[in-house]
Amino acid sequence: MIDLIQTLGAGLLIGFVYGLLGLGIVIIFRASEAFNFAIGEFLVVGSFLFYIFFFDLHLPFIIALPLGLLASAAVGALVEKLSIKPLLGRSGLSMTIITLGLASVLRALVQLIFGAHSYSFFLDLPDITLEVSTLLFPSERIWAGLLSFIAFGLIIFLLFRTRWGVAIRATSESQPKAMAFGIDARFILLIVWALSAMCIAVAGVMISNFGALSYLTGIAGLRAIPVVLIGGMDSIGGALIGGLIVGLCEALVGSYVEPLGLVGFKDVAPYLLLLIVLFIRPYGLFGTVRIERV
Amino acid sequence: MLSVENLRVVYHDVISILNGVSLKAHNGEISVIIGANGAGKTTLLRAIGGMLDIYEGDIIEGDIKVGDTSLRGLDSTDIIKKYGLTYVMEDRPVFWYLTVEENLAAAAYSRWDGAVKADMERVFGYFPILRNLRNQKAGYTSGGEQQMLAIGMSLMTRPKIILFDEPSLGLAPLVTQELFRIIQRLNEEGLTIVLVEQNAHAALRIGHRGYVLENGRVVLEGSAAALLENEDVREFYLGAGAKERRSYQDAKRYKRRKRWL
Repeated sequence: MIDLIQTLGAGLLIGFVYGLLGLGIVIIFRASEAFNFAIGEFLVVGSFLFYIFFFDLHLPFIIALPLGLLASAAVGALVEKLSIKPLLGRSGLSMTIITLGLASVLRALVQLIFGAHSYSFFLDLPDITLEVSTLLFPSERIWAGLLSFIAFGLIIFLLFRTRWGVAIRATSESQPKAMAFGIDARFILLIVWALSAMCIAVAGVMISNFGALSYLTGIAGLRAIPVVLIGGMDSIGGALIGGLIVGLCEALVGSYVEPLGLVGFKDVAPYLLLLIVLFIRPYGLFGTVRIERV
Repeated sequence: MLSVENLRVVYHDVISILNGVSLKAHNGEISVIIGANGAGKTTLLRAIGGMLDIYEGDIIEGDIKVGDTSLRGLDSTDIIKKYGLTYVMEDRPVFWYLTVEENLAAAAYSRWDGAVKADMERVFGYFPILRNLRNQKAGYTSGGEQQMLAIGMSLMTRPKIILFDEPSLGLAPLVTQELFRIIQRLNEEGLTIVLVEQNAHAALRIGHRGYVLENGRVVLEGSAAALLENEDVREFYLGAGAKERRSYQDAKRYKRRKRWL
């Protein structure tokens, strides 16, 4: 029983991080209809930018994190400006393909600048390790879940409670309509990419904090694929639920199936789950039911 | 005054849609543009509203002016902000997944003054039905309600000139009548209106001036009353006029004769 609670708790905590990764994919998909395959590289770049401010410049966490996020946002905006904007009006597929190329370029750049070795990564955040009898949740896991949850909440607030949020959602639905009513759709798209890069950077910093940071950390970003496909490509709430489902699935399989001799099965399990979900609901669990007029 | 001077527009650098359109929309008037499908009505409005870019269209000749300043090269955001000219696209340009209230807020995005709430109340004053629907997603409202919302959204941009692209498209006659009454009322309150319509009769009845667009040219212009009486307009756009039914061959000859206009 204790075992189960431990597993579920760990799964939920990492689930929030995955949910944030998923959110990064979803807001871009809604706005540009492109799937950002460069998510792993965004994650690494974001983490390294934070690394510079926190470890190289020795700024306190509370200052280094916003600075790192702003820098990540700038990178996201730059990427949009250079590679996505010229494709405005083309199909989402061409932008998706662009992100594949972008992933290679960014990965190579990171290797050129930071090398291929690992950087030790440890945030000296207050220790909030939770230990009740034999239950143990390590501090960095709790911080990861907590900060991801807060970041997720901030984005939701921005999207649903502010004027920019309304403009972003309007632009996501139709760029021509938005422009006809005086919303600068091109600028909004830039903002969306910047926001997405920030989400991914937060998740990246948290994931790096579990171990070390190298250009290979980006592989964790691929977790976002089952997350958004299970939750629904265009559903923000779905990203969170999808993240939690993937987190739980991974944790449960990790503690109950892997000991049976299936080592590494927890990396596969989310994809099996994804397959089952897609059989039943092809748009994902919370994919928008399209408004159809008859 | 909005004036279009000898405007030529091509899409994708090759497809010529407007071949030298000139017209004037006087302040405080309703200018009606009628024409068949493919005549270039929508393209004309896109050009004026600064929306050609998205559709890969270009102005290759001519000019669009508000007063004495040219709008060429400006995009819709600037045109709305600086000249108070708002283009209401055809087919009810509302955001389906936003609520009615959010739609109105989205249209007010370009404004930074504090009067947004007051303007929203004004819109609800024009269209009381929208008040009851304010928390409903616009995609689930009826066609007439969507068109009213679209007009309301255009009002949220604080326009001086509004371009309407076929507001009656796909609406029941009674709803159309009501819409036209509202458009007339907006005009009486001081708005300059350019109205593109297929429903020529209803549009010309509320209009001051009328233009007939054909193959990217203005082939006929005059006061709305005069156009309503014009025999060509009556036959081709109002579905009346000819005493007896003409055969198709006659009609074809008639079209040839008409081309010089």
